Amino acid sequence: MTCGAPLDVRDKVSDSGWREAPRLRDMTEFRFSASTCQVEGELVPVAEISLSPQDGVYFEHHILLWKDESVPLSSLPTNGPKRTLGGMPHIVTLANGPGRIAFSRDAPGELVVLPLHPGMELDVREHAFLLASHSIQYSFVRIKGLVNLLHGGSGMFMDRFVTAQYPGLLMLHGNGNVLERTLKPGEKILVEPGGFLYKDSSVGMNAVQMPLKTGFMRHGMYLAEMTGPGRVGIQSMYHHHGSGE
Amino acid sequence: MNTYVCRYCRQPSDPSQPTCPLCGAPVDIRESVSDSGWVEQPPIKDMAKLQFGQSHCQIAGTVVPVAEFNLAHGEMVYFSHHVLLWADPATRLQNMSMRGGWKRMIAGLPMIMLEAHGPGHIALSDNHAGEVIALPLQHGQSMWVKEHRFLTATGNIRYDWNSNDVWYVTGDSDEQETHYPMGQYGDIFTATDRPGMLLLHAPGNAFIRDLRQGESLLVQPSSLIYHDMSVRVHLHLEYPRNMGFAFWRNNWDYRNIMVRLIGPGRVAVNSIFERPEAMEAIRNHSYATRRRW
Repeated sequence: MTCGAPLDVRDKVSDSGWREAPRLRDMTEFRFSASTCQVEGELVPVAEISLSPQDGVYFEHHILLWKDESVPLSSLPTNGPKRTLGGMPHIVTLANGPGRIAFSRDAPGELVVLPLHPGMELDVREHAFLLASHSIQYSFVRIKGLVNLLHGGSGMFMDRFVTAQYPGLLMLHGNGNVLERTLKPGEKILVEPGGFLYKDSSVGMNAVQMPLKTGFMRHGMYLAEMTGPGRVGIQSMYHHHGSGE
Repeated sequence: MNTYVCRYCRQPSDPSQPTCPLCGAPVDIRESVSDSGWVEQPPIKDMAKLQFGQSHCQIAGTVVPVAEFNLAHGEMVYFSHHVLLWADPATRLQNMSMRGGWKRMIAGLPMIMLEAHGPGHIALSDNHAGEVIALPLQHGQSMWVKEHRFLTATGNIRYDWNSNDVWYVTGDSDEQETHYPMGQYGDIFTATDRPGMLLLHAPGNAFIRDLRQGESLLVQPSSLIYHDMSVRVHLHLEYPRNMGFAFWRNNWDYRNIMVRLIGPGRVAVNSIFERPEAMEAIRNHSYATRRRW
């Protein structure tokens, strides 16, 4: 399995250690399992999947752009009706091969291709996942702590993707540009909660209040404190959770 | 003696670097000029570094670029809290003094702003697909900037505001409404004590043009990013010729509301702008030129 990243470009790492997600070239094609994925467009990219008969992908139904008539769709319950209360769909849609199907979200940004090896766990901001191959288990984690819920800016739940015995492919859509950093054990970084995109499940995330006041009403300011070890991914375009901007 | 002057930021610069160390514009590209004289402001190259004082800023990304600062001890930048993307725990963040808060509010900047003091790292980004524009300002140099284009500035850049004096009134005597197509007030940034760095965010692509003495140009009011203080601006109303239909609307929403820019000086516009609303007849307006076709 590959991720479609161009091999002939330099690694783009800023001085403080953030690595840019490799920008997939228009019409880049890569394989997962027995299927292929082609990425089209660069401003609001489309992921076009050619599914083999034994493969399937699941997704939130509203990001489906087009599909072959022959591709069957079924619902995949997540055993989490209470997620609806948190604004998350509690049913995701499963498309099985053979056939072609395409997905896109409606914001300028980048597709992040994350091949997951067996035994990996990744937490993703709600409504950021584009699709995942059927071999990846989909669940969710409830964000704990009242302060995290009220000020964390990440809603009530995070999507959790787990691979057991088989590898799988996970694709996310990040608004704007996507940057990733690997934190060492105990290393901390403060991130605007709206900018959080994904993290390894080993990375701790807690909303912390800063000694600052913002806005006309002098609200307190909260940032997400991420504690290593593990990867953290952020997006550069986001809705600021405190101001609605 | 260094005689190279960056064609985009107009400051003496270093041609041996791949990008201008003051504004990040690529040094090794051909100037891209349209037939009508607009110069396309090249996007700052991914991972380009800008130097200011002992600190530097690195621009990461190309869709919604991130300005990542490595602040030296004793140096600081100020910004609105909603553009903060991440910060090192070591960077000292504090509220900006409330002194000047009223001015900030009038000028369309948040009254409560934050300061980040070095040493440490901090990153800022806006929320629209577009370009970060770096404007290095020499000691004493001022620049007019349209409201809501400001991303951040170094601590020695002072801000002020002026009334744009571009407005028009619609509606009848009971319900009149005053419109400010380029905002009621403009931001004015001035470098004090020493040179400073002003970072703006332009939605879409940015284009600049140099107007000669007395040369004029009509532009969409909301597309302006910045202009030299020597450029004069006033309202311009243009009514298309009545082609025999919709005659009753000829003076109403069948019109173009523009601003006229008069040189000398540099002006910059971005390619995303707000479309003026279709509205009622104009009852009163600031000084304006008119054209009826």
